[in-house]
Amino acid sequence: MSWYFDEPTTRRKVEGGIKARTKRGKIGERWWSRRFIDVLESYGVGGRLQRGRTYARAGQVVHLALGPGIVVATVQGSRLEPYRVTIGVERLTDEQWRDVEAALAGRAVFRAKLLAGEMPQEIEDVFDDVGVPLFPELLADFDMDCSCPDWGLPCKHQAAVLYLLAERFDDDPFQVLLWRGKERDDLLARLRASAPAEASDDPTPVVDAPLNECVDAYWEPSVSLTRLRTHEPPPPSPSDLVLRLAEPPEIHVRRQPLVDLLAPAYAKLTAD
Amino acid sequence: MLVVHATLRDSALVLWAEDADRPPSTRTRRDVRLHPFAASADELTDALGVDGEPTELTLFLPGTTTAPAPSPELGRETPSTRGHLHRWRVPALAASPDTALTVLANIDDDSTAVTYGSDVRYLAVVAGFACDLVSRGRVLPGITVEPDGAAARWRPVLIGPDASRQRGLAEAMPPICRAAEALTGDIATAAEIVDQMVASIADSVVRNRLDEPLTQRPRRTPTLADRWLAALTGSPVFAGPDEDVTTLHESLDAWYHEVSRATGPVRVLFRLTEPDGDGHDTWRVQFALQSTSDQSLVVPAEQVWDGATAGTVHPDEALLAGLGRASRLFPRVDDALLEARPTGLALTTEDAYQFLKRDAPLLRAAGFSVQLPRWVGASRLGVRLSTRSTTPTDPLGATSGGGFSLDDLVQFQADLALGDDIISAEELAELARLKVPLVRVRGQWVELDDRQLAAALKFMESPREGTITGREVLHEVIHGGGDLPLTQIEADGPLGDLLSGQADQRLSPVPTPATLAATLRPYQERGLAWLTFLDRLGLGAVLADDMGLGKTIQVLALLASERNGGTAPPPTLVIAPMSLVGNWRRETERFVPSLHTYIHHGPDRRRSDDFTAAVAAADLVITTYGTATRDRDLLAGIRWARVVCDEAQAIKNSATKQATAVRNLPADGRVALTGTPVENRLGELWSIMEFANPGLLGSAAIFRRRYADPIEEGNDPEAAAALKRATQPFILRRLKTDRTIISDLPEKQEIKVWCNLTPEQASLYQATVDDMLDKIANSDGIERRGLVLATMTKLKQACNHPAHLLKDGSALPGRSGKLARLEEILDELLAEGDKALLFTQYAEFGTLLHPYLAARLGRPVLWLHGGVPKKRRDQLIERFQNDDEPTVFLLSLKAAGTGLNLTAANHVIHVDRWWNPAVEDQATDRAFRIGQWRDVQVRKFICIGTLEERIDQMIERKKALAERIVGTGEDWLTELSLAELREVISLAPEAVSEQ
Repeated sequence: MSWYFDEPTTRRKVEGGIKARTKRGKIGERWWSRRFIDVLESYGVGGRLQRGRTYARAGQVVHLALGPGIVVATVQGSRLEPYRVTIGVERLTDEQWRDVEAALAGRAVFRAKLLAGEMPQEIEDVFDDVGVPLFPELLADFDMDCSCPDWGLPCKHQAAVLYLLAERFDDDPFQVLLWRGKERDDLLARLRASAPAEASDDPTPVVDAPLNECVDAYWEPSVSLTRLRTHEPPPPSPSDLVLRLAEPPEIHVRRQPLVDLLAPAYAKLTAD
Repeated sequence: MLVVHATLRDSALVLWAEDADRPPSTRTRRDVRLHPFAASADELTDALGVDGEPTELTLFLPGTTTAPAPSPELGRETPSTRGHLHRWRVPALAASPDTALTVLANIDDDSTAVTYGSDVRYLAVVAGFACDLVSRGRVLPGITVEPDGAAARWRPVLIGPDASRQRGLAEAMPPICRAAEALTGDIATAAEIVDQMVASIADSVVRNRLDEPLTQRPRRTPTLADRWLAALTGSPVFAGPDEDVTTLHESLDAWYHEVSRATGPVRVLFRLTEPDGDGHDTWRVQFALQSTSDQSLVVPAEQVWDGATAGTVHPDEALLAGLGRASRLFPRVDDALLEARPTGLALTTEDAYQFLKRDAPLLRAAGFSVQLPRWVGASRLGVRLSTRSTTPTDPLGATSGGGFSLDDLVQFQADLALGDDIISAEELAELARLKVPLVRVRGQWVELDDRQLAAALKFMESPREGTITGREVLHEVIHGGGDLPLTQIEADGPLGDLLSGQADQRLSPVPTPATLAATLRPYQERGLAWLTFLDRLGLGAVLADDMGLGKTIQVLALLASERNGGTAPPPTLVIAPMSLVGNWRRETERFVPSLHTYIHHGPDRRRSDDFTAAVAAADLVITTYGTATRDRDLLAGIRWARVVCDEAQAIKNSATKQATAVRNLPADGRVALTGTPVENRLGELWSIMEFANPGLLGSAAIFRRRYADPIEEGNDPEAAAALKRATQPFILRRLKTDRTIISDLPEKQEIKVWCNLTPEQASLYQATVDDMLDKIANSDGIERRGLVLATMTKLKQACNHPAHLLKDGSALPGRSGKLARLEEILDELLAEGDKALLFTQYAEFGTLLHPYLAARLGRPVLWLHGGVPKKRRDQLIERFQNDDEPTVFLLSLKAAGTGLNLTAANHVIHVDRWWNPAVEDQATDRAFRIGQWRDVQVRKFICIGTLEERIDQMIERKKALAERIVGTGEDWLTELSLAELREVISLAPEAVSEQ
């Protein structure tokens, strides 16, 4: 137990706060959010970071909003009034974004991966090339502020917000780009060859005839059951194919990735 | 009897039933009336023997305000108009997914006392689809929010064809399945119901199959993820802080949507193209977008970048997103994505080979479209074998097979071949030097992996000329596979005839034997020659001619022909389904009256010495599969000249007792008869061949590995060709649509189908005869006439089915010889892709047959009777004429009287008879305009040893007379004297057949 002034009392419990997903170990699993956390942790201010993680896991962050260039959050600390945390980051100028867009449009991989919910690793180079690294290299590049009395940088409230931010980036890499000043739809629209429009959900929905128009054949399937059963034999596929089709969520159980735990079950399901 | 139905309400399967013993209408006055003939929840529980929660459904049913229309399965005469929809309260059982699965998996079990409605059968198909998804691993774990809280659920993943299959299921849904009000008063859509059903069944099936937790190590303080994972195999509901559950839920949902994204209006197509010029080896995989609804619509990536729409809003995005997904399975795609507007990627020959072998199948399985060059899988190095007989062939070229034996020596030469080209040792050495798995030989690309190359090099070192026996050649054709398959065979002489698969065309036809009381058609003479040829070589034959081409008569002709000139070979044993025994008996008596026949069947059949004596005196012994199994030791004590299996599908499962017993009978020759296209059912083909030629195709496992697996899974044309070469010597299959066969057939072919009575039918028949003859003897005038006609009707009903006579709503299967035969014939003709008109004189019998046949056959059975309104009648005719699906059109003879033009049918079946040939023919012809391009088979069902057979004989004997005396009805029968009547209606002992 330490007696520094930054840890005078216990934090107040929060109902309905935002909790970090991971209950132990590291926060931030994808390379892009790791990169972000690495900057933070490279400062080695272990005690505060540890407490920040605890705050993040305990759900002390009541509210978190991310917009171009800024993150605003409220964090419940020991006082009645929650602290207000802001974390600013340099937005790219319109000109810089044009350069980035041009570079992104030059390689289909960026669009393909971004559309598939992934952050292509090479995207860092693109930002480096225009002179604005995607991820700030120094903690000082963040413009951070907290209404708490702690002068440390970062304080545990800021750290808690940064950890939650990393998780948010895990889930949606476009949030990183939004923070740097560009909305997803805006960016994709610019990357598209054609003009954007709304896509429909199901191109060929099944339309039921009204029941009262069906009384003559009320009990019959409109296609014979033999025909319904008949279909092309499906192509052979590995048992765990569906696990390989998309980036699985970062869920670990006892340190094992979800997919590793599921694969034997799929082998069992598909065994003759 | 209960007719069980099912519908979905609020995602749960709810069962209800109609009870045949309850009144058809109600008088209660309520806003929503209680269904008058629905069974109670307790009765339903008892009848089904499953657990469910009693509940009440509100159902929309057609009918009047006091009487809902019964389902067809209830067998009640339906009112001519269905009326409007009304709401009914119906007692029901809500089933858990497990219970639902149990019920739906057992609907084909005849031992239960209930009948299932077409709605239940339909839902069983939906459940089958869900099970299929699970067996292919097409599920993903997720979370659903349920009334009890968050639940871990396995969600079905629909990729590519699965999505359209599910849509097809929803489109086909019988309206009754969506006629239940949800508790909120809403009506679910077909798509929602199928969605819910597939989801709940899939989850339940996964849980049943995964009997252990996914992780073994329990934790003292489990995390949320631990609890969720445990809930995937255990009790589905799990607890956790709301916000954490929400976060987990969202990330799992995001995963699910990402995985399912392959299901859009377009998909990415990968097309592998060969190097175009010579000199370099650049292969390309080209990208394109393909419409999932119209696969012929393909837009190459180049055009996508130029703004082509490809039937979707953001084709460029669809292409890129698809490529992004594909890159997880086929990482080389990343290379192409480095360009701004990727259109494809270049591959080396080695890469191209890997693409063929590894990437393409994976991409296909993931719902992408892959197009490969046409030669893939089709052209490989193989061996061409040529043989020349050492004895000069018949100078006229027509071989008879006489004197030829499989032990005769032939000269052979074996060459390495690619397609039609022979590859020399030098060329092979050059290919070996290249050391690539895809090589170009004379402008043609060929797959050549290390194993094939090694096999080819080894082959070049072995002797490639010499002499071998015909038997060894045959063995080579069947078993010469492995890395260097036999791809071509050229042989002359009788051996060539045999291997060609066209021996029946090449052999001189055997003319109709003198003792055959019929004239064989030309194709039947060729069939006889073929049977004789294989018989002499000691090879078993599979005669698989289409139904109606006369397989029985060809076998009878073989028996007659081998007895030409007074020789007396040992007897032939025919094993047939019970329903065909009567037919064999009658056809033998009719076509080869000189044959001595012994029927080994029934409780009074002969044993031990009696049996041996009966067989010794017989030319032909007829028995059933059941009896052959039971008496296998007795039958195995005889050295048969030949064992013939009729309807050889009966032994399609080689492991069954029946198949084993039949296979083990000692015989010099074997013939299997089947009308179903065996070449499409490979397991069945092996089993039938194993009977005809034991050991020839090798073990079932070898057969599966060599032929069945590659053909069924990979659609391997080379394996299919090899199988054809290996089996064509032994299988003769002529289709009635073959040009040469049609020219041999009459326009309208009349076939009599002789059936037996079951013991139940026979006792009902006998009781009716006893009762009525008494009454007729003591009556006269109009009363007598009325009694005679009533008797005739009752006896005909007994011949049709006990339930038809008794009108007690009892179950149909297994109680009528006629019905058994009818099912077999319909099965066979539907399998051939044909359509049939099925006439009955009795609307009440049609009402019984209609739902039963529809459920049994799984094909549309349309039912036209006097009560069908004009609009519906036109719809039925429309559907029968224009839908290309094999269909049965059941008609009451009266309803078929006017204005029908059902030219789509090529079978007409009269299941019972109108004892007036003129009326019968008129009905047939009115319904069926003669003069179409295809031939017509008209079958008339006749029960042996009953009035049906006697009257048929009378009409046959004096057809001219009959036409005069019979007039327009059946009244002429009433003029018969009591003695004549007794003779006509009495029951002969041969009528009955029992298992």
